[in-house]
Amino acid sequence: MEIHDRQADGVTILSLRGSIDAMTAPKITEFIQGQVSRGNIKLVADFSGVDYTSSAGLRVLLGAIKETRAQGGDLRLTGVQPDVLKVLNLSGFTNILKMFDTADAAVASYS
Amino acid sequence: MSERFQITRAAELASLSVFRQFISDCCAKFRVPDGTVFELKLAVDEACTNIIEHGYKGMDPGSIILSFRIESDRILVQITDFGHVFEPAEAPKPDIEAALEDRPLGGMGLFLIYKTMDNIDYQTSEDGNILTFTKYIKRETNP
Repeated sequence: MEIHDRQADGVTILSLRGSIDAMTAPKITEFIQGQVSRGNIKLVADFSGVDYTSSAGLRVLLGAIKETRAQGGDLRLTGVQPDVLKVLNLSGFTNILKMFDTADAAVASYS
Repeated sequence: MSERFQITRAAELASLSVFRQFISDCCAKFRVPDGTVFELKLAVDEACTNIIEHGYKGMDPGSIILSFRIESDRILVQITDFGHVFEPAEAPKPDIEAALEDRPLGGMGLFLIYKTMDNIDYQTSEDGNILTFTKYIKRETNP
């Protein structure tokens, strides 16, 4: 699992690449917690490089959304691939998180 | 007629990607539809994660045996472990309509297995705990 971050208009974009399972999920949680502890609470997770997630990914997303929203921020998704979308749909996560077609649209949604 | 394949790996999180790749490789030999391949990988991943994180809890980590059998219209995946007995039907069901603040961080793995597999069977004996998934293959018919 590779994670890179960049800033755009006060929003932190996290680009993830790889598969999310119980092995790789803790690295993502740690990365996001690092961002939040530095005050970066407006997050966009670019999932265009994520080809797979198990429920471990749902746990990461739910934890991050709860933590950022509690501080007035959020974690919003872009680039969700079909298999990952299927897991989000099955678990009802599409009702609680915001998804956008492009990273630009996700960033713009914060303004 | 059926064909069967099997691998055994240590019950550790690093094995999860190996198990998923095994399912992909088996399915590729028989041109199983992509959606079915994904659902099998997901169900196997969730079940093996439960075994690794809970089944062998407090014990020396053992092994997981994963077998794949394909018949004309269905795939049977069997996962054998030698850890604590876990009855899947007794696990609490998550509320997928719940609001964000009411959602616990875990408990979705088993739910996803039930959503994606056509049948789930769990047997325990002195030969181990054997979880069997059945998934029917819905092939697209050519016009």
